[in-house]
Amino acid sequence: MFAARAEIVANVWKIVAREGDQVGVGDVLAVLESMKMEIPVYAEASGFVSKVLVEVGQIVQEGDPLIEIDESHA
Amino acid sequence: MTQLDTPSVVSAPDQADHRSTLTQRRQDRFARVEPKGKRVFTARERAEMLVDDGSFVEMTPLRTAGGGAGSGVVAGWGTTDGHAVVVVSHDAAVASGAIGAVMADAIMKAQRFAIDKGYPIVYINDSGGARIHDGIFALHGCGGIFANNIEAQQRIPQISLIIGPCAGAAAYSPALTDWTIMVKEQGQMFLTGPEIVKAATGEDATAEEIGGSALHTKVSGVAHLEVDSEEEAFHATRLLLSFLPTHKGGPQKRHSSVPANPGAVERLPGLVPDKSSVVFDMNALLDGVLDNGARLELMPTHAPSILTLFGRLDGHAVGILANQPNARGGILDAKASVKAARFVEFCGRFDLPVLTFVDVPGFLPGTVEEGRGVITHGAKLLKAYVETKSPKLTVVVRKAYGGAYIAMGSASLGADVNWAWSGSEIAVMGPGGAVALLHRRALKAAEEPAKLRDELAAVYREEVARPYIAAEAGIVDDVILPEETRDRMAAALRMLTHESSL
Repeated sequence: MFAARAEIVANVWKIVAREGDQVGVGDVLAVLESMKMEIPVYAEASGFVSKVLVEVGQIVQEGDPLIEIDESHA
Repeated sequence: MTQLDTPSVVSAPDQADHRSTLTQRRQDRFARVEPKGKRVFTARERAEMLVDDGSFVEMTPLRTAGGGAGSGVVAGWGTTDGHAVVVVSHDAAVASGAIGAVMADAIMKAQRFAIDKGYPIVYINDSGGARIHDGIFALHGCGGIFANNIEAQQRIPQISLIIGPCAGAAAYSPALTDWTIMVKEQGQMFLTGPEIVKAATGEDATAEEIGGSALHTKVSGVAHLEVDSEEEAFHATRLLLSFLPTHKGGPQKRHSSVPANPGAVERLPGLVPDKSSVVFDMNALLDGVLDNGARLELMPTHAPSILTLFGRLDGHAVGILANQPNARGGILDAKASVKAARFVEFCGRFDLPVLTFVDVPGFLPGTVEEGRGVITHGAKLLKAYVETKSPKLTVVVRKAYGGAYIAMGSASLGADVNWAWSGSEIAVMGPGGAVALLHRRALKAAEEPAKLRDELAAVYREEVARPYIAAEAGIVDDVILPEETRDRMAAALRMLTHESSL
């Protein structure tokens, strides 16, 4: 199990990945908004999206898990 | 009888005797002791590998700390790319490299030599710390090494390699040097190892967890580069030395100019997205400006929102600072400030020109950063720029807002030449934030506040934030195009390093 985490305190601006999606390393899973910057959240593992843990508009802290990827089904 | 004739007073058998004694002494001392654990090479082999082939000369090779073994350190000098360097290599085959009184004295002798003669020093660390059997004499020796480390800071570059488990004194000394390189899964740095940690606090942790390269190059920032092998550590050290003068005030290493990467030059004018919120890779921008040749990025995985690297521009060795929009939006925070300040301060100490490429959304605000002391750490960056007297060239490539504008090598902090790209924005805050403050009432009353905000932000961007106000006031020296950057910087460097009087 791999969790894509917020690299900075931010507002969740877009969620690109949906539960069940197949994703590969480097795919954009979500976009955070912080300091007026659009900060992409990338998949660092391949697999399928097992859980989206946040909603658009939610405030997340640095290190918070955002999206879980199940690598066993890669 | 000439000077070349051998005096007949020495009989042949006597001569054979003292020659064979020396041969035996050398054989005993230089006998290879198979390295233990993950170690691949002996202390002497490491020193020899670091320097140019055949150039290593060992100081006091017959010195002993007793018991027929060596002093615990192989110290000497050699050359890298033909430039002299002093090397200190801990010998883990003698009491696990633990620093006793004799070993400390041998290290201090090498430090003294480097400081007095003005040569860089490389410490190859592989030591468990102070030698317990030597008691206070060991501690006194370690303290002496630290004092020399600190004296050396104002005189010569110091590089530390961590190639084994380094505890206590063997971890503190590197912290007093300029750059620390760790070999992955082989080198560790900690105050004390797992057993004493367990005894002292009850914490159960492995040596890798307490002081491995992952911890120190990503989280703590204690070390500045992680490499995969001993050979790579030596290669990185030689590369690092290739950018540095041998001592403070010594001549800079000037190479012949190499044009920037042609593909990157072609992409440069359209590289930076117009929309200031969209991220891009600052490395691609640097490729289009710097000489297409060797570079060394330090602390690549710690506070990655700012890049710190050595490279060349028009053949001059330069230190480069650049915000990295691709990491955390390129913000400045406490860690990024410390990283940047340390780098600028180093460049200043050794007269390396500082090139600053700015695209910064600001200092990251909030409880977490304030708690980390972002004010104090940010102030260190301001201080480093002001105190640095080497040539300072700054170019704003997209946006520079607020305090972060000032901190990134601005004119007010003493940059010699400042430029701004024609599409850049320089303002007290970004258009979105500024409009929200300046037009609070109008936005509150508006039927479509979002639409009005965007319109007002666009006006603000064009009328207030464009770099012409700064250029008209002389706060930036000129507004330039991306493709003009390299030539402008090269001309400024020639002038500032007294290579031409223009």
